[in-house]
Amino acid sequence: MSSIDDLLRHPGLWRAREQGGATSQPAGRPTGYAALDRCLPGGGWPAQGLIEILTDRHGVGELSLLMPALAALSHEDHGDHGEGWLACVAPPYQPYAPALVACGIDVRRLLLVQAQPAEWAMEQALRSGACSAVLGWAEFRNRQGLRRLQLATEQSRCMAVLFRRLADGNEPSPAVLRIALESSRKGLVVHIVKSRGGQAATVQLGWLDPAAHAVAH
Amino acid sequence: MPGVQPSRVTVREQPGLRPAPGGGRGAGKQVRAAATSNELWLAIHLPHYVLESLRRSTAAAQPVAGHDSGTAIVAVDLEGGGKVVCAGDAAAVAAGVTRGMALNSALALLPGLNVLARDAQAERALLEAVATRAIGFTPRVVLEPPDAVLLEVRGSLRLFGGVRRFIAQVRERLQSMGVAPLLALTPTPLASLWFARMGEEVALRSRDGLASRLARLPLACARWPEKRLESLAAMGVRTIGDCLKLPRDGFARRFAPQMLRALDRATGCAPDPRVAFVPRQRYSVRRDLEPEIFDTERLGRAAGPLVDELCSFLDLRCCGVDVLDFSLLHGDVPPTRVCLRFAEPTAQAGRIAELLRERLARTELPGPVRALRLRSGPFMVANQQAGDLFARARGRTTSVPQLVERLRARLGTDAVYGIQAVPEHRPESAWEKGDILLFQEKGDILLFHRRTESGHGKGECPLFPRPLWLLAEPQPLEGEEHPRHEGRLEFEEGPERIESGWWDGRDVRRDYYVARTTGGMRLWVFRERCAEGRWFLHGVFG
Repeated sequence: MSSIDDLLRHPGLWRAREQGGATSQPAGRPTGYAALDRCLPGGGWPAQGLIEILTDRHGVGELSLLMPALAALSHEDHGDHGEGWLACVAPPYQPYAPALVACGIDVRRLLLVQAQPAEWAMEQALRSGACSAVLGWAEFRNRQGLRRLQLATEQSRCMAVLFRRLADGNEPSPAVLRIALESSRKGLVVHIVKSRGGQAATVQLGWLDPAAHAVAH
Repeated sequence: MPGVQPSRVTVREQPGLRPAPGGGRGAGKQVRAAATSNELWLAIHLPHYVLESLRRSTAAAQPVAGHDSGTAIVAVDLEGGGKVVCAGDAAAVAAGVTRGMALNSALALLPGLNVLARDAQAERALLEAVATRAIGFTPRVVLEPPDAVLLEVRGSLRLFGGVRRFIAQVRERLQSMGVAPLLALTPTPLASLWFARMGEEVALRSRDGLASRLARLPLACARWPEKRLESLAAMGVRTIGDCLKLPRDGFARRFAPQMLRALDRATGCAPDPRVAFVPRQRYSVRRDLEPEIFDTERLGRAAGPLVDELCSFLDLRCCGVDVLDFSLLHGDVPPTRVCLRFAEPTAQAGRIAELLRERLARTELPGPVRALRLRSGPFMVANQQAGDLFARARGRTTSVPQLVERLRARLGTDAVYGIQAVPEHRPESAWEKGDILLFQEKGDILLFHRRTESGHGKGECPLFPRPLWLLAEPQPLEGEEHPRHEGRLEFEEGPERIESGWWDGRDVRRDYYVARTTGGMRLWVFRERCAEGRWFLHGVFG
């Protein structure tokens, strides 16, 4: 049953050339923002592995940044990637359904979980294979929990995003991609702190309007 | 010279009987075959049902008297005084203990004898369990208390590959549940039962040789009253065959008419209607634990066989349950209840066991657990899903309902939910919280949005932006003419006037603005349209 193609597609398979060159980088999921796509190694959010977003404030555009990619995941045909469910674990405020609908998210398949600590619920959602994206707002005090989460993401095909504080950016992390968000008078500035197979960069995104993006989409 | 016609009394008592006009001499040959039905009955006789039922109900049998060291086991009927042995296992029989022997004599033969009390409930439960298993073979199952089950199997033979294979499969299924049955197959239920009781495992498919085969059976097989058997024996009548040779009317007059009827039914001369067994609509089982269990982990393992049994029971009926109630019975303290709720009807042992483990891990036991009781909710039609050959290759291990119920088992039911948009102008009413799994079933809200989207461009929020985060309660802001939040707010868009809800008491009259803080946050603020005109923060553009 398991042909060589199946083996090669296995998410746990690590190829030596993946480390350095961007040539054979697996294609990422487009972020929906061209300026950001250009700076990310696969031309978008990494298809696998943990993404860390560091921000001290809610409301700088951290969710808008993800919306185009989530909307695409929410509507794509999920023959292979679970059922297109999105899970939000321990969100800081109530996600507002009309705005999500306007961004093109299928809210019927949005699973909200109030859990403290959030690690366990995130891990369950990742390991279940039923979700195509898991967002979590968690404060990891132990490195082991983070490592477990990263392992869970490597074994699934799910987009996993973890929101942390800016101060946590000083600690080492197993995440594939780490970005720090900064808000300025001109809008959102994204600092790529760590990117496997890519380089650190700073991208000026301006004010994001995910709803407008959804319409164009 | 024709025989004596049956008296009017006999005829009235045997309405189904059609006596032959000319008639022969024997009780069995007087009547033509009344029932022309084409049935085949398999009798399952359980010769060791007393001990088997005790073994099933207790993990380790508990002695009422005697010593544990003895390997031989006998059962006594406590209701009947408990002085007489009703059943003994192989070791006891080998030592000379027989049924009906005084307990003291048995103890004299075997001083280390393990004596158990009979349990009528457990015996009935065993019979029902056998009948429930038998439903997998045929829908017509009849209980024949205390120790037999009858199956009408004519329609099932071809499916199971003929008589021999069918019987082998029934035997295998029964042996897997720990009983040693005697099986006999004949065209009438009573004949099958008699053969099985006598340990003759026959398989007769036609009625032709039935009477002659029956003739050899001793009369004990019919379980007629002891007194009648004695008087028959005094007449030299010892087998069914001897009985069949007696004149019908004389036999009926001298003995009970139901004895004649039984003979007619056994030979197929009279119809033998039976009431079919209907399995229970809920499942309930109790298992004593020996020794007592203190820790929840071992308890989870001890519950495993119960869950397996439940699931095979559900599988047979193509049903699932969505509520399961486990009671952990302690000695003095009231029982601890663990109620499992599933997101959808299920019959998967693994899923039930996993949820049970999760719940038990959070349960604190007030004392050691002596017994487990499992009660199911009503049976429901389970979602029968074809097994997916490529499920592993696709990497999908659990479904969303399963994920939801696992999260709920640990975090509580309210911690896992879904949201949906509601067509409504007031921002706080434009969404609602609900059960994520129910939304799946309704599924029309989003379709509504999509349709409007295609028709009018942007759908529900066409002109003004809506924030991705909404505050649970609007938060008052400082400032009279100009609101402040971490410094002076700068308006980006607005005002958007929302006036609605005068009809239901939650009146809203507000002007909404999109504002920006000096730090670069985008907020959704409003000013009340009244004399005070206070400012509030209502949402955050995440």
